Amino acid sequence: MIRLTINNQEVEVPEGTNLLTAIERCGLRVPTLCYHKALTPYGACRLCVVEVHAPGRAPTVQASCSYPALEGISVFTDTERVRRARKITAELLLARCPDSEVIQRIAAEYGVHEPRIKKKYDDCVYCGLCVRMCQERMGRSAIGFTGRGPRKKLEPPFGKHNPMCWTCGACDFICPVGKKVRSLTSPNIPIPILNPYNMGLNERPAVSIYYPQAIPNKPAIDPQGCVHLKYNACGICDVVCEAKAIRYDQKDETIQLNVGAVILSPGYDIFEPKANNDLGYGRYPNVITSLQFERILSPSGPYGGMVLRPSDLQPPKRIAFIQCVGSRDYERDYCSAVCCMYATKEAIIAKEHAGEDLQCDIFFMDIRAFSKGFEAYYETARKLGVNYIRCRVPKVEEVPETKNLRITYLTDDDRKVSKEYDLVVLSVGMQPPRSVRQIAETFGVRLNQFGFCETSVFSPVETGREGIYVAGPFTEPKDIPETVSQASAAAAKVMALLGEARGSLIAPTVYPPEIDVRGQEPRVGVFVCHCGTNIASVVNVPAVVEYARTLPGVVYAENNLYTCSNDSLERIKQKIKEYGLNRVVVASCTPRTHEALFRSAVRAAGLNPYYFEMANIREHCSWVHSHEPEKATEKAKDLVRMAVAKVKLNDPLYPRPLKVCHDALVIGGGLAGMTAALALADQGFTVHLVEKEAQLGGYLRRMYYLLSGEDPQAALRRLIATVTAHPNIRVYTNAKLVEVKGSLGNFESKIAVGGNGMTQEIRHGVIIVATGAETYRPTEFLYGQDDRVMLHQELEERIAANGFKAKSVAFIQCVGSRNKERPYCSRTCCSETIKHALKLKELDPDAQVYVLYREMRTYGFRETYYTKARKLGVAFIRYADDRPPTVVNHNGKLSVIVRDETLGETIQLLVDHVILAAATIPRDENKELAQLLKIPLSEDKFFLEAHRKLRPLDFATDGIFLCGNAHSPLDIEEVISQALGAAARAATILSKDTIELEPTISHVVTENCDGCAYCVDPCPFKAITLVEYQVNGETKKRVEVNEAICKGCGTCMATCPKKAIYVWHFRPEQLLAEVRAALGLAV
Amino acid sequence: MSEKQFEPLIITFCCYWCAYAGADLAGTSRIQYPPNIRIIRVQCTGMIHPNFVIEALTNGADGVLICGCHPGDCHYLEGNLRAKARAEAIELMLEDFGLEPERFRLEWVSASEAQRFAQVVTEMVEQVRRLGPSPYRMAV
Amino acid sequence: MAVRLAQEWFAICGGCEVTILDVGEPLLDILPQLEIVHMPVLMDHKLYGQTGEGTEPEIPEADVGIITGGIRNEENRRLAQEMRRKCKTLIAMGSCACYGGIPALANLSTVQELYEKVYRESVSTDPDGIPSEQVPPLTDRVYAVDEVVPVDIKLPGCPTTPELFVEALAALLEGKPLSLPSKSVCDECPLIREKKAVSTLKRPLEPIEFKPGEPLNTVRCIMEQGYLCLGPATRAGCGGKEGIPRCIRAYMPCRGCFGPLSDTANPMVDMMGALASIGLDAKQIPDRAATFNRFVGAHGRLRPMPKGGRPV
Repeated sequence: MIRLTINNQEVEVPEGTNLLTAIERCGLRVPTLCYHKALTPYGACRLCVVEVHAPGRAPTVQASCSYPALEGISVFTDTERVRRARKITAELLLARCPDSEVIQRIAAEYGVHEPRIKKKYDDCVYCGLCVRMCQERMGRSAIGFTGRGPRKKLEPPFGKHNPMCWTCGACDFICPVGKKVRSLTSPNIPIPILNPYNMGLNERPAVSIYYPQAIPNKPAIDPQGCVHLKYNACGICDVVCEAKAIRYDQKDETIQLNVGAVILSPGYDIFEPKANNDLGYGRYPNVITSLQFERILSPSGPYGGMVLRPSDLQPPKRIAFIQCVGSRDYERDYCSAVCCMYATKEAIIAKEHAGEDLQCDIFFMDIRAFSKGFEAYYETARKLGVNYIRCRVPKVEEVPETKNLRITYLTDDDRKVSKEYDLVVLSVGMQPPRSVRQIAETFGVRLNQFGFCETSVFSPVETGREGIYVAGPFTEPKDIPETVSQASAAAAKVMALLGEARGSLIAPTVYPPEIDVRGQEPRVGVFVCHCGTNIASVVNVPAVVEYARTLPGVVYAENNLYTCSNDSLERIKQKIKEYGLNRVVVASCTPRTHEALFRSAVRAAGLNPYYFEMANIREHCSWVHSHEPEKATEKAKDLVRMAVAKVKLNDPLYPRPLKVCHDALVIGGGLAGMTAALALADQGFTVHLVEKEAQLGGYLRRMYYLLSGEDPQAALRRLIATVTAHPNIRVYTNAKLVEVKGSLGNFESKIAVGGNGMTQEIRHGVIIVATGAETYRPTEFLYGQDDRVMLHQELEERIAANGFKAKSVAFIQCVGSRNKERPYCSRTCCSETIKHALKLKELDPDAQVYVLYREMRTYGFRETYYTKARKLGVAFIRYADDRPPTVVNHNGKLSVIVRDETLGETIQLLVDHVILAAATIPRDENKELAQLLKIPLSEDKFFLEAHRKLRPLDFATDGIFLCGNAHSPLDIEEVISQALGAAARAATILSKDTIELEPTISHVVTENCDGCAYCVDPCPFKAITLVEYQVNGETKKRVEVNEAICKGCGTCMATCPKKAIYVWHFRPEQLLAEVRAALGLAV
Repeated sequence: MSEKQFEPLIITFCCYWCAYAGADLAGTSRIQYPPNIRIIRVQCTGMIHPNFVIEALTNGADGVLICGCHPGDCHYLEGNLRAKARAEAIELMLEDFGLEPERFRLEWVSASEAQRFAQVVTEMVEQVRRLGPSPYRMAV
Repeated sequence: MAVRLAQEWFAICGGCEVTILDVGEPLLDILPQLEIVHMPVLMDHKLYGQTGEGTEPEIPEADVGIITGGIRNEENRRLAQEMRRKCKTLIAMGSCACYGGIPALANLSTVQELYEKVYRESVSTDPDGIPSEQVPPLTDRVYAVDEVVPVDIKLPGCPTTPELFVEALAALLEGKPLSLPSKSVCDECPLIREKKAVSTLKRPLEPIEFKPGEPLNTVRCIMEQGYLCLGPATRAGCGGKEGIPRCIRAYMPCRGCFGPLSDTANPMVDMMGALASIGLDAKQIPDRAATFNRFVGAHGRLRPMPKGGRPV
């Protein structure tokens, strides 16, 4: 080892280290243009000069990159002499390349803004980086210097394109002034490595983090693009990586896992239009897929969230969305179920990003806004000016000069219109994954006619092979909430199968006993991380450490190359013991990735993990202020001071164990309730199933046949029999929930049974709401006045009883749905109507069947039956939203008068029967139950889940779950998926003996709280209640926090006018200490 | 060198779930913005008592910026909406404390909006720089 | 030996002096223990000597000094300093002395504006000049007594309550410390609290819902009824013996006369935060600063509004 001093700081470096490296190791910076860690030092730019004092010799100025670190020398990086030398060099460089921003910045640092000598406007600084790169790293020597002195020139041998050149582009990459070197060596243009995450709209390097949210958030090498893996050259990343984390020898591995069950969720692939498609995809740059557009809209996308089109990166003014590309066609007779809504969403977001003037036209066949909240969203889009044009676009043509696109279409009133757009987005459908055949073969699962996995209505996650379950669009195109529900459903099935083995592979971490340091003066240890050069190349780390030592309460501070490395973590533990530290601050990266790691180290040293704070001096400092090292260093000091100020006020906190009762309460004994109950009972939990009617079965009792052909009554009988006979299920009929106390893990409820005033008390850990819905009783279309006007179920019961005969039948859709009063779609009625229409045709192929509709919403595979019905001659007549049909009694026949929007004419149908597709409506009792359980209802008065997309089965209140028609109108398969899913969600709680609740929740300061009750209603989780208590014979009030429900959002803390409630770890004193520390005030 | 530019100090409260992550992403994406902000991490913008903002401003902060999740994205359902309501109250009170309304700002920044975070910060710093030092700033 | 008592009044209405009278019969027990050496409301005592020969005001030595009223002019300031010099224990009595009180609402304006308004713009005055002779100059703003001299005991309230006054005196005589309640008015308020979700504020003139004589614990929280009540940010203790806040007892909302919960608290910020949190659009609150700081305008809680641009 060589010992020397740099700016009077003692350093030890291995022999052979150059001065520049030694200087950087101290966290200091010297400017350089020609030095690169992976290349031999060249000493060309002379910017890195430093003053070297060797013992007994006069001080000299040396280029630190090419001068070795020698024993006993003293180096000074910032003397007047050095600055003068650098200033002259910077001025000369600036005169050579006055347009280079890099040189401008370096020159400005030394106070040079204009060179005093004549500018040369060269594009090369002769640093030789590209030459060394090509020779040393690529082994090609495709470029070099010719000539001498003023005639020195960068060029390939003989000034010609050089066949040695690989077109790897390393020369362009390394050039500090942005010269296009590669164009000198080769006529070829490098093929960029397209970024698959951004759907190929931009490029990425051969080693990169796949996308910003990738887990693990680590870079990987693309073997197809890596010069090292392909040609055994380059290898720069290995040299540059301070952590020595590059592994070229890593290979794909085959791992064997022993599992008890498999869930197949391979997802889907998007439809890719064929090469010579009429829509121009692949030929015209401005015809893109919806997923590409999704990336364009994303802030982390190729254009940083700006709405631009690919051909010229200009913002489009007119965008056309073409629906049903790869869906609902001859080959793919199914609906992809999501495209209508994503196109609508993309149009709205595009308008948000680009301004209201952006014209968005959506060409569609039917807008299928069938899911919860979708119809309202569709309405919003229309209000925001998104145009919906009903036409299947046959062809897109490009205007070659502008790369604009022309679409010719027929309007509703049969006019031919031609419109020009700047960008066309194809709403591509979902297809089975490309590897589907292989998956099917490997796992022995059956595929349907379109290549999706085959399941059945009553077992939506089962493949027919035991132990293999399936979830997501692999079974049928579906949206996020349905996917999430189904995934939980598959988990429920697996848990029933593997319940006994639950938790058997978990190894708990064992920590030493905790030291009680309460009451001690704070003794803070500060560890400042270099993060290789990530922090140290910008922030002066030693200065930050030095500063930290001056802070009150800090007894120890040091810097680490990587604080997160194993040896550094050990050091932290060791220093805690050595210096008796009772608080630790790590100044490094973001707590979002590393807090858990450091907390665990602090805990392992016997301290409470909450005696720890992080100062984020990487993501929030060095990386975002890389050109302002001084200011970044000051900021880093401030961030450390803030963290120290806070950590001194930290309290020891402990996760709160909550004992869990393993029983479940399921409200509603219909298909959803019974399915959920059975799924939990099969996992070994006791279930109390409460049904208000005398019998189980709910709405399913009135269904006799299904589109897919299964017998619902047989399935229902089986289900009821299993439920009633199940040892773990207690069924209460004629029963009603009248009282609920407690919360997650420990509910106590009263059930009124039999309606005679008898109540029964039960204890349970979770609640599943499966109360179903009702059918709208229409007052329109002569319903209730004329027996021949019936609802779906009445028709179904008549057919089932062989009591229905008719020569002509008209179905009217959207009765009571999608109107002012109920602005939502009832989702199931279109498919139900198709089911009945097909049945009628089956009973009498000559029967005249008319379907009067606004939009046929036969999503997913239901589309196939819609096609079948059309083929069988069922007449579909579209009426406009504001022109519903009328039904009158015309000489004994029912006369239906409707304006057919496709024909553009009003027609009269004389029919034997009119069948109404009545809305599914929420139960009146929902309101009562909502109050009882303190759970919210949506605007449509169905129950409101915690998150529309990601938490469809949870309520915001922990321990209460939702499934079935109480959520929104759903069909049988969806109800079963949700019910199984809700059971799985519930089992995540029931399967534990105790739940560890986060300690960072609200705490009432009894001395300050006087029960003004301001915080009670703002609490989003209804975790706060007002209570009375007695003191000296007086009744006083205060609030109480239900710790099982509180999530620690702090809404109460920000509401309280008297500092009487706070969130642990974020107490007002702690946050204000940070504020004061940031302002440089005494804390 | 010309006269030294005024460098404002802006206290920035970031909710941990969205804006803090957005600021992190600005880091990983190396998006540059002025170093005048000091981020204080909070669980939710809904936990920021108006007191914190007023205390910061009356103790010499040149500006206060609050960044939270977009409406509908709050990890705690509606904390950000409460923050919005309180921000309106804070804006009213700035006048009572003799402070310009531009010294305080509430913005929505999602975890993926690194660019937006940088832009918001840059704008805020410039805005406050134009106003000059806080009237409460201790004479240095 | 009797306790020597000095009392002085500054910017005040005289209500607190009436409070002393309002002590009622217990006063008869206390009076013999007191020797009043200075009290302008009761007795004529020449501050500058019998013939006005003094240059500085002088007050006799006393064990206990009571100051009512805030500091509005230079004479107040000097007298306060003299009181502090001469009295072993100094009591600031009433919200004016403790927090500035109603006179401190003048802190919303600059002295110059006050002069303009009173001596020039007012219709009833002859717009002649601003008197400067024979009157002490105004201080730049109204100060609480403790901003000028250290105060030992603060008795807030507008006026303070006879009970609190007696308690303070008794404590002093017995040499015990006096502690004020740390909780807010809500702690003593018996009204029922159901749901705090107020979207529109009612005007104070609209009738509060109650039946005359109705027991208070069946009446709904006045804030919940839509009337601005400062109870949550105001110190408890105004209720006296009955322990029920004075205004609430009269079916009226709290106006904040007992001052903030702590010396550092700002009732306006605390109340605005709380009100915004329960859904009230704070723009509805008329004359915000003065409403929330009606009694506490000293200590910089009220300041002149900036007139266009730069703050003052």
